[in-house]
Amino acid sequence: MATQMRERDVLSPADLVREDEVHRSVYTDPALFDLEMKRIYGRAWLYLAHRSEFKEPGDYVVRHMGTQAVILTLEKDGEVHAIFNRCTHRGATLCAFDKGSAPNGHQCPYHGWMFNADGTVRFIPYDKGYADRLDKGEFGITRVRLEEYRGFLFGNLAGDEAGPLDDFLGHMKSSIDDLVDRSPTGELECGPYVLRHYYRANWKMTFENLNDTVHPGFAHAASVVSAKAITKEVGGPENIVPTLGMMMANGKPVQFFQDLDMVTAPGGHSYIGGHMGADYTPDTSDQYTRSLMDFHGQEKARDVLSVDRHLMLLYPSSFWHARYQTIRIIRPVRHNLTEMIGFVFRLKGAPEETYRNAVEYCTGANSAASPVISDDLEIYERLLLGNGFDQREWIPMSRGIEEDRENAGTYDRMPATSEGFIRNQFKAWASYMGEA
Amino acid sequence: MSEEVRLFVEREAQLLDQMRYEEWVALFLPDARYWVPVSLDQPSPEAGPSHFHDDIQVLMVRTHRLANPRAFGAEPSPRTVHTVSGVSSEESEDGLKVTSSQIMLEYRDRGNYDEDLRLFGGQVTHHLRRVDGALRIAQKRIDLINAQGAFNAMLAPL
Repeated sequence: MATQMRERDVLSPADLVREDEVHRSVYTDPALFDLEMKRIYGRAWLYLAHRSEFKEPGDYVVRHMGTQAVILTLEKDGEVHAIFNRCTHRGATLCAFDKGSAPNGHQCPYHGWMFNADGTVRFIPYDKGYADRLDKGEFGITRVRLEEYRGFLFGNLAGDEAGPLDDFLGHMKSSIDDLVDRSPTGELECGPYVLRHYYRANWKMTFENLNDTVHPGFAHAASVVSAKAITKEVGGPENIVPTLGMMMANGKPVQFFQDLDMVTAPGGHSYIGGHMGADYTPDTSDQYTRSLMDFHGQEKARDVLSVDRHLMLLYPSSFWHARYQTIRIIRPVRHNLTEMIGFVFRLKGAPEETYRNAVEYCTGANSAASPVISDDLEIYERLLLGNGFDQREWIPMSRGIEEDRENAGTYDRMPATSEGFIRNQFKAWASYMGEA
Repeated sequence: MSEEVRLFVEREAQLLDQMRYEEWVALFLPDARYWVPVSLDQPSPEAGPSHFHDDIQVLMVRTHRLANPRAFGAEPSPRTVHTVSGVSSEESEDGLKVTSSQIMLEYRDRGNYDEDLRLFGGQVTHHLRRVDGALRIAQKRIDLINAQGAFNAMLAPL
């Protein structure tokens, strides 16, 4: 063990990433995982919760920032605070549930210490026993720095050392805008039911998969074949439900994706898709479109509806799908264990049908029982197994490296088949990990 | 009547265990739903996402796919065994509401020793209707005791 630690000190994590290849140990080495938690999850802005999850003072949710849990609680003054889910006395976790209401503060189940939403000590039972050895001012729970963008709350474990959230989001703000602007009232409501799945492999594998447009034709071929067979059986494409259409979309030829754009941005972020063009005219007879035009004006409404972005990856912790009002958070548990937590949002004021569609999409595409996701989960686990062998040290990520379409500074544009988003992730990875 | 219902629920589970998926799907009515909520208090499948919320077409794709050697998630196929107990039924508006307690043990040989075995369990609610003399499923709802938990890939229908 000691030798391993010394080697780690010598080998800089940044040396594990080259321009077009990455060392397999980034997936398999538990010591690197621990370092990732400190240097990446300890420094990046992580999406934690949406304002609409807090209705009454005392409402709280528990979320993870890497391997640590934090409690976000709404104060009476309207402020949301985040504090670690850990009593400052003996270290027990305070909240046992993912969400709830604690208008009188959070109480430790062990010796009854109580804390306010902002982490300050509210009450310590039998405190005279401590004589003057215990300064309550020093036993508050550490607060986590929060910043908000359009109702979305992000936390940063680096506190004052972190730059502003705005800089972190950069060009990707446009993808968050894409989600919020679809609401005909400008407001979103986070649905109360979350979809969770897990897999026994590394967290980065999801990031490297969700904007990969070459794998679906292979990894998801079985559901494409089956969806096609059943389509035939029910009398053709005009008779199928949307979930079958979603499965068959994975069977589109590579050229389809080659013609689409992928956009990457500093920090490891990316998305697929873009603008369908100005010729897209919203159908004014549709109730939803009409309400959107009432809210935004015709010009802006047209603009909002013409954005067609597939998943936006906000490195290192969340995945945003504006068209289906879905956000997924990744929770790395160990180097070989990862959880995904999915939320579906209601566009306030939009017909109930938009929410139902999003729910249907999320169930069909994001559940552990999804025929599509279950293939991905299997692949991640096989990746971890295979990379545990020391057969080859380096994994190529050079696809599309000579195919950039635009280098705009705040973002780069390339074919959606490119592995540029993986290179971009590892550039961010090396930058976070290289800094002691 | 209740004997017939009990045998129906047991046979339904048995078809899954024997991987007779076509016969299994044929038990469902054309407008049937197969629903596994993510929470015990989820009022409807529209209120939020579900682990499973299949109509007949999705059920057909799901089971068709299990027979495909390129379904990596089902390679090798999951093997299951159900136990069914406490079947009870009551008349409902348009048929029968049947509840039972079920446990499903699932096995996929992935070389991970005991981790290759998984347990699922909870209350199963069948809404049955009699069509042409035979009982058919209008809805099957499975309330897993760990509904709100995180799951790894679920291939075999519960």
